[in-house]
Amino acid sequence: MLLRCFMVFLISLALPWSSLAATQIEISAPGEQSIPLALTTFLPDKGPQSEKISGEFNEVLLADLDLSGLFRFVAPKAFLDDAERIGLFSTQVNFPQWRLLGAETLIKGTYALEGEKLIVEARLFDVVNRRLLTGRRYVGEAKDVRRMAHAFADQVLKELTGEEGPFSARIAYISNQSGHSELWLMDVDGHRPIRLTNHRSIVLNPDFSPHGKELLFTSYRANNPDLYRKEIYSGKEAKLSYKPGLNVAGRMAPSEREIALTLSKDGNPEIYLLDTSGRIRKRITDSWGIDSDPSWSPDGNRLAFISNRQGNPHVFITDIFTGRTTRLTTKGKYNATPAWGPKGDRIAFTRQEGGRFDIYTINTDGTDERRLTFGTGNSEHPRWSPDGRFLIYSSDKGGKRGIYVMRSDGTGSRRLTTLESDSRHPAWSPRW
Amino acid sequence: MSVVPLRQNNTFHKDPKFGRLLLVSLIAHVLVLVVFSVDLFGTKVRYKPPVYYVDLIHKPVLNPQAGRPDPRPVSKPKPEPVKPAAQTVTPAVPREPVKPEVKPLVKPTPAAEPKPKPKPAEKPVPKPTEKPVAKPVQAKEQKLQSALDEIRERQAREAEREALKDKLAKLRDSVGAAATVPADVPVGMPDGQGDEVGVSALAFVQAFIQQNWVLSPYLLDQSRIADFEAVATLNYSASGSLTSYSVDRLSGNKQFDDSLKTAIVKSRQLAQPLPKELKLVVTFNLKDIAAARR
Repeated sequence: MLLRCFMVFLISLALPWSSLAATQIEISAPGEQSIPLALTTFLPDKGPQSEKISGEFNEVLLADLDLSGLFRFVAPKAFLDDAERIGLFSTQVNFPQWRLLGAETLIKGTYALEGEKLIVEARLFDVVNRRLLTGRRYVGEAKDVRRMAHAFADQVLKELTGEEGPFSARIAYISNQSGHSELWLMDVDGHRPIRLTNHRSIVLNPDFSPHGKELLFTSYRANNPDLYRKEIYSGKEAKLSYKPGLNVAGRMAPSEREIALTLSKDGNPEIYLLDTSGRIRKRITDSWGIDSDPSWSPDGNRLAFISNRQGNPHVFITDIFTGRTTRLTTKGKYNATPAWGPKGDRIAFTRQEGGRFDIYTINTDGTDERRLTFGTGNSEHPRWSPDGRFLIYSSDKGGKRGIYVMRSDGTGSRRLTTLESDSRHPAWSPRW
Repeated sequence: MSVVPLRQNNTFHKDPKFGRLLLVSLIAHVLVLVVFSVDLFGTKVRYKPPVYYVDLIHKPVLNPQAGRPDPRPVSKPKPEPVKPAAQTVTPAVPREPVKPEVKPLVKPTPAAEPKPKPKPAEKPVPKPTEKPVAKPVQAKEQKLQSALDEIRERQAREAEREALKDKLAKLRDSVGAAATVPADVPVGMPDGQGDEVGVSALAFVQAFIQQNWVLSPYLLDQSRIADFEAVATLNYSASGSLTSYSVDRLSGNKQFDDSLKTAIVKSRQLAQPLPKELKLVVTFNLKDIAAARR
């Protein structure tokens, strides 16, 4: 009897729900497409207070995260008292306060400066679910504060997107800052430029080896465009290819066992594969036209290059094993400098239209071509960041030619190099 | 002397007062309970009423009437009187200042003529012999022509503007903003067929969840934007609280799935009570973003 009553009770409880018909609705876009982030100023944990340290860390982190396009920053003026409290554990953070300000993510941190030694603790919190997402402790010297900020920006991107950011990498480029066209290296935000060569000649077209330890570039040091390789840490340099004519646009294969480049030793510029000692391993192209600017696919099986074999210069793709070559671009009268994206799905290139060069991207099957740069000036030499989120390129839209960075959809463009010198041919290193 | 174990000698001695003490203790306990549970002194029970935010205009209802969901046009009557005035002018001459310009241009040509009606405009034409007169006439004609051209241009611009307005109105209608609906139209839904004053409960919940859904497309593989889709079942009580939810199908992308779970958590309490409890099967996708990029 008791059991029967209990069953009836249960059924009576369940009835309203079962009688409730489910209604379908569809939400086809998020209400907000950028994550509200509160980035607090880091507070001194031990040692003296240094506004330079906290200010510089904050500035670098903000610039990196802003470039990512992922965030909308909550105005620091609106911050309440939790921003002034040291609390790196989720139990110590006043999450309702941050919710009140509309933040969904929160970055808090501390620093301790003891002499030249600097320790930075940084945390990323999920405000809605009240939990710590990621945290890092960096130990170094006071001069490393920018590197620490870049490293934490990479970590934030890794936590939120599953893929590490490219901000700790470096950018190689050609600049005439010293009076000659030399090879330089800088941070991805344009800071800490270092000159790598002193050829007192014309240096051009640098490219990193896939592991980032070496750079390939062409130099006219010996009055001929020869291909050089240079170890970044040791500074050791060697001539790799010095055949008569062009030895330009050297690109190391993802396997690091081969180098694709353009040689004109027989008169007509063609693409060849060299081994790492500079010996020719294979001729890739053989046409009456000019073939140049090779760029490896991430799997190392194909090369994108420029050829005018069918009239105007266009982007072509060739399989290095079968030799099967297909034309990728069909529009424009002058296409140049293809760069295969690290995800393998898109290729960036330059096209001249209306007397001006602009950056475009296209799918590797020739579909979905998009123009990324607009406005005045020529934008050329596009290269991808190692995660494929950004593109760097050179442009003279600000007067003197300089290095610019933008998101891979063409938004968020900003100049990295100063207006004092002429800079071009950028290349983004693998993760440093 | 033999030692007798204590336990063997000690028999349990029952205290005669024990029962009484137990009873007293029981009564004391009951009394304490009564004192704390029964309102002996007539003190008012502190009842903390729940606070409901009730918007009588946007009240979610099941069967909304036909009308406008957005009660904004309080200030709309202002432009209304201007609009018909502009419309009446457009077919003929768009702006008043233009009219006087036309007449003086027509008048001077028949300077000697007594009647300044449109006909005299032709009169100067058959008198080309008088050169000194003809020149000013020509100039005036040119002026007249240019004025007419200007009028035509303005008319064309007005017509264009009207066409754009019509287009905008149609667009607004299509998105249900009902902005072109006059101010006195009752609150409801553009496609409402019921008889209740308020907005559709489903549309309300949908907008509420969407507002709480934060996802940057930069978190995702851009080439797969159109493929991301997840389905969740949400049960809301009549008070607008999320009583339970389950994610029935995930997209497989951590960022996308996490973002919609967060949106559900943020939507656990709606801003308005619902007309009744609701069971919703919500499909989350990025079709609008994908369409915008095409």
